[in-house]
Amino acid sequence: MGSDRAADLESFLAERGELLLRTAVLLAGSREAGEDLLQAALERLLRRWRTIEGDPEGYLRRTLYHLAADNWRQQRAWRTRLRLLQPGAGTAVADGTAEVDLRDSLVRLLRQLPPRQRAAIVARYWEQLSEAESAQALGCSVGTVKSATSRGLARLRELSESSGSSEPAIQGSTRGRS
Amino acid sequence: MNTELEQRLRADMEHATSGVRVPPGLALKAYRHYRKRTITTRAVAAAGTAAVLTAGALGVAEVTGAFGQPAGGAQARTTAYVISRVEHALSAPDMANMVAYTRTVYPAGFTLHPVPGGVNGSGGPAASSPRAGGYEVLWAYHRSTNLSFFTASGQRVFGERITVGEKSLATSVVTYASHTWWKAQSARPAGTRSGSAGCLPGGEIRLNGSPSAWPDFIHSQLACGAYSVAGRQLIDGVDALKITGGSGQITLWVNPVTYLPMELEQGGITQVDFQWLAPTRANLAMLNMPVPASFHQVVPPA
Repeated sequence: MGSDRAADLESFLAERGELLLRTAVLLAGSREAGEDLLQAALERLLRRWRTIEGDPEGYLRRTLYHLAADNWRQQRAWRTRLRLLQPGAGTAVADGTAEVDLRDSLVRLLRQLPPRQRAAIVARYWEQLSEAESAQALGCSVGTVKSATSRGLARLRELSESSGSSEPAIQGSTRGRS
Repeated sequence: MNTELEQRLRADMEHATSGVRVPPGLALKAYRHYRKRTITTRAVAAAGTAAVLTAGALGVAEVTGAFGQPAGGAQARTTAYVISRVEHALSAPDMANMVAYTRTVYPAGFTLHPVPGGVNGSGGPAASSPRAGGYEVLWAYHRSTNLSFFTASGQRVFGERITVGEKSLATSVVTYASHTWWKAQSARPAGTRSGSAGCLPGGEIRLNGSPSAWPDFIHSQLACGAYSVAGRQLIDGVDALKITGGSGQITLWVNPVTYLPMELEQGGITQVDFQWLAPTRANLAMLNMPVPASFHQVVPPA
């Protein structure tokens, strides 16, 4: 199978990859991390390639959510950086670069939510899945999706109001949707 | 979605991910990693068998071909054999005259901060700095390096150029967020003289002076047993020798002819991709670090 499998995957990604990657970026919090997350999900897909029945996209999507909700990055052991050429390693000091990349303030705040809340919000408000579909994607109950979404939104509102950014304050008013 | 917060959330999500495209080769990369895991499992089993069968100061690691198949011909090559090949590679005339390009991807939460003579790194998965989870691009030639650190979204955070002299290091740094730059001269730290790095049993990677020190480093670490040969694999379709150290925490894939590294992985997290390039005018220009005209000079950090 070998390279054929890689080629199959490549053509699948050419067709469906963009949407999956956008979801992965939101789940993981950055473009780079999103690519890593999608790659990790693809590796799992490859491991299960022979046993997956039906739609590989469905499996991939569920895997993205599972990995994100399980906080896949934190489960890996932490190691300090490699010194490739220059000597010296220690503690970093703030240098004012915290002002970099302040676009997309709510998405930035989304990164501060616990993984499961973030995943629930992405499922509900980015993919616009129903609560039942979200529960299936996250591998949890509908009740868990409801509470994670509700808590996540409340936390986002709180963070947004206290962030002091130039964004307008968030109102809690309810509006209809066409 | 019926509140203003939810509407804005949706709009922000749309905006934040607009223009996201799947990078070419992601499927192939996933496939390679998937294969690596499979091969590593096999290699560990093979090394265990070899350890039972052999004894000696260097030990012997059985070398298998790509994807766990025998390499053909002399299938079992010893670490001693690899050492002799490295010595041969070290004598190649162009070894010291290559431009090194490395791209290092860091895990989420990692930050780097330039200081005279080097860079400090810190962080962890819980850190939330917007600089976190970025990547580093390093160009190196002879005793000069030009390092740039980017956020995960690709914004340049700082650039740092270091030139290693006989007794000192000259450092120039441009910090983009604050529109400032500084330069400093610092004493060359002990232990960074040219020559062998010595045996580093913890798997530490320490290079002395120039990128061409890599084969020398690999030679010395294999010779003292800090690293061992773990097999053969294809990296981007190119045959590579797999070498591990630091109790398996460091894995290097090196070119089996030049013994220059092709890829490095630490703890399954930090990944470094290497390219070794001819010293053309264009490649050497990457060693330069221009300071934008509007930036102002500040005092270097202590």
